[in-house]
Amino acid sequence: MTPDWIIDVRDLHHAYTHAGVVEPVLRGLDLRVRRGEFVVIMGPSGCGKTTLLNILGLMLAPTRAASLRIAGQEILSLPEAGRTRLRRQTIGFVFQRFNLLPTISVRHNIALPLRLRGCTVDGQVDALLERVGLADCADKKPAQLSMGQQQRAAIARAVIGSPDLLLADEPTGNLDSANAAVVLNLLSTLHRERGLTIVMITHNAHLAVAADRVLHMSDGCLLD
Amino acid sequence: MFALAWASLTHHKLRSLLSALAVGIGIMLLLISRGLANGSIAEVAQRMRSVDAELVVLPAQDNIIFTNGAPFRAGHERYLRQLADGSGPLAADVIPVFFGQVLMGGQQQRLFGVDPAQMSAFLGPRRVLAGRVFEHAADFAARIRAGERPPDEPDDAAWDTFLADGLELVIDERLARVGNYRIGDQVQIMGRRFRIVGIVEAGVAGRVFAPLQTLRAIAVAGEPQASMYFVKLPPGRNTLAAAEAIQAGLGGDVRVELKDDYGRLLHESFASVNLYMNASSGLALVACFLFILLTMYTNVIQRTREIGILKSLGVSRLGLLRLSIAEALLISLGGVAIGVVLAEVARLLLAAARPLLTVELGTGGLLLAGVIGVGGGVLSALYPGYRAARLDPAWALSNE
Repeated sequence: MTPDWIIDVRDLHHAYTHAGVVEPVLRGLDLRVRRGEFVVIMGPSGCGKTTLLNILGLMLAPTRAASLRIAGQEILSLPEAGRTRLRRQTIGFVFQRFNLLPTISVRHNIALPLRLRGCTVDGQVDALLERVGLADCADKKPAQLSMGQQQRAAIARAVIGSPDLLLADEPTGNLDSANAAVVLNLLSTLHRERGLTIVMITHNAHLAVAADRVLHMSDGCLLD
Repeated sequence: MFALAWASLTHHKLRSLLSALAVGIGIMLLLISRGLANGSIAEVAQRMRSVDAELVVLPAQDNIIFTNGAPFRAGHERYLRQLADGSGPLAADVIPVFFGQVLMGGQQQRLFGVDPAQMSAFLGPRRVLAGRVFEHAADFAARIRAGERPPDEPDDAAWDTFLADGLELVIDERLARVGNYRIGDQVQIMGRRFRIVGIVEAGVAGRVFAPLQTLRAIAVAGEPQASMYFVKLPPGRNTLAAAEAIQAGLGGDVRVELKDDYGRLLHESFASVNLYMNASSGLALVACFLFILLTMYTNVIQRTREIGILKSLGVSRLGLLRLSIAEALLISLGGVAIGVVLAEVARLLLAAARPLLTVELGTGGLLLAGVIGVGGGVLSALYPGYRAARLDPAWALSNE
């Protein structure tokens, strides 16, 4: 039986051009991730981890690739509007810097993906707020929360719409060890309970313990 | 999108308020300049309609506001009185008016030189509140009609004697109140001191009346010239047909119009001035909308990361454009509301400082302000919205 690949990338290349100088970042990378898998990608700074995550999250178009399939869709032939729609419906992001909208409350931040999909916002937001331990902070603005709380809010926003794929870019990078443990535990639990596919980038080898698979990246290629 | 736009505006309260205030000032300028023009024209037109006549005979020129001098000579009045068809004379009465200027009540007033014998056509049912409608001017007019001529020599004493009975003024109560004028007060006009002899109810065609014969004596050596005529038709005469017949009789140097069309004529005459005023307030408004554009553009620059977040959540390019438009729309609507309030305040201040000016903030003006405000706001948001929509999401997210 053919495995259910949620990510299927073949011969992925990407290069940045600065002042006419072409700087290759990804060099023929291949990656396959099964639905429901928790994959951690580790590697030194500048090896192309964030670029890979941006491409997987349809935020960046690769320079070239043989194939780039996300959730069964071939991305290379998908127009901008289609990529935006797929991102909205399929992918959740957790960033190192949380990236909550500062102008609206935590509750509204978490509800935003549902609203963007045109879904009714009912009790799920409150339930999720409870689940991530932020019920008391629902009406606060993100700036009024601690960093750990902000990251938990960001995780809640990323998973509220039950995405097929959660991409996490150094989600504990700005947190102390206690908060990092809480966040990792939260991600692990969501992966376990909801069967959520997670691709997480980290420097922190301790976080890799939660993963089903750990991949190492160097010079724009995956080593394992 | 409106909720997000509102949240963004309330998050940056001062910036939003300043933007709305900028639009509000532009809207106020537009409303006041328009309201001042419309209010003044409506008031003058209404006063002119109070004259007991059906037609006006004017010089054939485009602009009736800036009419100077008295281009009509004695022959015109004589001809008007003699014009007749099979049903009889076309005019039951011809009422000449000789325009002058006088500074009263803090601003220039149009001085109506009218024959004291015809003052009843201007007064109609309005009451005389103080004094009389000309005391001795009727005698002076009678002497002129009897053939008395002004002195040939510039001898002040002889002129004073000649004009003595004719230097009288009648003013309306609004001007009397604003200028605090009383019976017996003297006013300098064309080098002569006129005495206020009567105050009448407001609503008469002019705010200041002087004897026609006096103004003719001072300005045109007593020649029976006029600036315009009101024509009262015999009962039962068809007004339009009479106007056409008089027009045909007088020829192309003269325009004969219905008295009730005077407001339209004023509007047409005011068009060139209005164009200038509208252009000025329009330019001010454009500057205000450039302020919105700048605000929205600054928003895009300052909130690049937020735009990146929205893109990461799957907000489309069109969605970001709509967000930008929604923010500008809210600023504009706030600006329109501020502008209407400011215009009302300005109207009250003008009414206190210049009570003779009439500012009319009609529904049409308010609707126009709304349409311009909203339209301008949307246009101002298009470019910043386009820039936001075109931002690369990964780059926007990495932006500091």
